[in-house]
Amino acid sequence: MKWVVRIVGGLLLLNLLGVGVLFLMGHRAGAGRIHASAEMTGSPEQVWPWLNEGEKLKQWISWLVEVRGFDSKAGLGKKGVWVMKDENNGGTLMEIEGTCIDYAPPSLLTLQLSSGGEFDGKQSYRLTNLGSGRTRLDADSSYHFASAFARLMEPVISAAAEKKLAGDVARLKSLVESKATAAVR
Amino acid sequence: MSPPSFARALLFVVAGESWAECVAGDLEEEFGLICQSRNHFAGARWYVWQVVRSVVPLIWIRMRSGEFRQAALAALLGAAVPLVMLDRLWSFVYSQVPLKDGIGRAPSLLAVNVAAVCVGSAITGTAQSSGKAAWTTALALAAAAGIAVWASAGGAPVLYAVWVVAAAPASSLIAFRWRRNR
Repeated sequence: MKWVVRIVGGLLLLNLLGVGVLFLMGHRAGAGRIHASAEMTGSPEQVWPWLNEGEKLKQWISWLVEVRGFDSKAGLGKKGVWVMKDENNGGTLMEIEGTCIDYAPPSLLTLQLSSGGEFDGKQSYRLTNLGSGRTRLDADSSYHFASAFARLMEPVISAAAEKKLAGDVARLKSLVESKATAAVR
Repeated sequence: MSPPSFARALLFVVAGESWAECVAGDLEEEFGLICQSRNHFAGARWYVWQVVRSVVPLIWIRMRSGEFRQAALAALLGAAVPLVMLDRLWSFVYSQVPLKDGIGRAPSLLAVNVAAVCVGSAITGTAQSSGKAAWTTALALAAAAGIAVWASAGGAPVLYAVWVVAAAPASSLIAFRWRRNR
């Protein structure tokens, strides 16, 4: 049974190594912050409704299945709920409560988000007019996780979240540009 | 004339040390007779079929004798447990993504899975006492890795699945050879 001890010991050693690396990475500058951006054809006024209206949000934010309580549009101080489908948790629905804390159409929208003791954070969308009918979108998020294990895993979670955000922003760009092209025709 | 090498290797892996010699001896004697009376192709076909139909009974005998249990336990600890635990860990990570995400895994996370399986399998390889035991464990590791990938909650691209199933036995055999040559 010496080899059983070797395997278990080896795996424990790997775990310890992983925990050490994650702990150090969790203390890096900018931990818990994620960013994605895209330049798209369309004016800020054309992009703004995609950030502000529930039905449009569902088209580009993956796994968002319902937006409740923003009375179809967000506005300063308004509260609402985003219902997300969690495929990694048996497809359960999870509610994220949001409060609009920055509202300056058509350039800045910031939501304070929190979810049932799992995390709280901010999601901010900034639109910059680049001229010639082009707009730059900067999406920034910062999150703080409630559980100690999630905080330890933050570097991996943030990397996955950033990849997801980049995919969503790319989908938004494609939607905005297809609508802008259709409007020109 | 010798029987097909792949069938002979399969027989030795499946039969284990205690049964391989006597089963192989009987089969090779009969194989020689068929080759003489008919031709080599007929003998080879008969040999392969005998090996294939013996696989399940031989595994059963080894499980009852306890010889196979060691390989199964090694496969469980060396490949299945690390893969299942990592799959659960990645599910937790993706579930913690604030705006949620799908079941597709980042290549870097899949690479961690492959590395963990290689380490676990290599440790089992260093613990084997003979070549036959090493091959049996390698086969069990491949099967355990395949089952763990198939049962994973996260997405498993074909290339990743092939890598895991190949890396587990390869790491075990390389580690066994390295230890034997020291």
